[in-house]
Amino acid sequence: MATSVAIPREDQNPFASVVRFVPGVLLLAAIGFAGKVLEQSINGYAKAHHLVIPNIEYVLWAIAIGLLIANTVTIPKIFIPGIATYEFWLKAGIVLLGARFVVGDVLKLGGISIALVVLEISGSLFLMTMLGRLFNLKPKLTSLLAVGSAVCGVSAIIAAKGAIDADDEDSSFAIAAILALGAIALVTFPLIGHALHLSDNAYGLWSGLAVDNTAEATAAGALYSDVAGKVAVLAKTTRNATIGFVVLGYAIYWASHGQAEKVKNKGAFLWEKFPKFVLGFLVISLLVSVHAFNKEQVGALANLSRWAFLLTFAGVGLRTNFREMSKQGVRPFIVGALGEVLIASLTLGLVVAANAIWKL
Amino acid sequence: MSEENKIATEATRLGLSLDVWAVITAFVLALLVRIGVLKHVPW
Repeated sequence: MATSVAIPREDQNPFASVVRFVPGVLLLAAIGFAGKVLEQSINGYAKAHHLVIPNIEYVLWAIAIGLLIANTVTIPKIFIPGIATYEFWLKAGIVLLGARFVVGDVLKLGGISIALVVLEISGSLFLMTMLGRLFNLKPKLTSLLAVGSAVCGVSAIIAAKGAIDADDEDSSFAIAAILALGAIALVTFPLIGHALHLSDNAYGLWSGLAVDNTAEATAAGALYSDVAGKVAVLAKTTRNATIGFVVLGYAIYWASHGQAEKVKNKGAFLWEKFPKFVLGFLVISLLVSVHAFNKEQVGALANLSRWAFLLTFAGVGLRTNFREMSKQGVRPFIVGALGEVLIASLTLGLVVAANAIWKL
Repeated sequence: MSEENKIATEATRLGLSLDVWAVITAFVLALLVRIGVLKHVPW
């Protein structure tokens, strides 16, 4: 969410630069840890008293506590820089998650993901463009919504905004719509997955294909099961890897209409937009596959990844402020919501078909 | 400019993108685990 925190001066020393993140990171850790303690305490109480109650994962508690704080009190400015680091923890967590995939898994699930991602991106871009035209949205806002829903949410919108020279207002609309829809997906996706008795792999693949923002896709997967969480990250990472190509396509399109700068070096453009954490994930996965780490070390890396995601989930809740989102207007949200329902249905169909063919 | 964007911009000003800093951090943690400095990470 937009906040008014002064940008540090160029001459600020590195120590002060790091220290300003500490309060917010501690808040993320406290909320995440509270979520973990709540899950364990409730389960322990239910077990001790022979009660049968549904297990509510720490992921949901961490997000719910964050949401409650963000939407009931004004978060002091001292916490804001640290809270905004949730994306850094997400990316570090994804790299470390590579420890839980041997290369064979990546090739099998990643191969299926690539095939489905191509279909998902083509379908999403087409659907969002048609809906944008139908609802008479500004063309560049439609482009941003299309990129955000097809590839990777907020990161894709920010990358595309610069490349197609879109307004700040348009990107704020698109980001608000994508974030609001991500929050809705956190609640609806696990319910639908359970209702359809989807396997962990099938559900994880669906979340990674259909939920736009990487943090929400990771959380939506983890809410279903640990395995679903890691498959969701793999599918989402495959989607993220295409960001450069999609944004480049839009940049060329708008430049050909004289409404954006021409891309001079396409190779450099693709490398600049490519999410480097995808490579980090593959390197760790490769190292684990060649037994560079023993079993205990792989366990330690997997747990480090879980701690990084814990901070991320707390951040997802804390940065979701419904009051701020509602200020952005309803039309982009309706277009986004309609598009997301169609994309979720399309990807669910793809996953069910893939499940029938490859027995996920 | 959102705080997330400010952090990304600041990371870039240090010569590397936020993505790369995240990868470096993860690799350093992996190295610490590999050489035995981080032996047991509880969950």
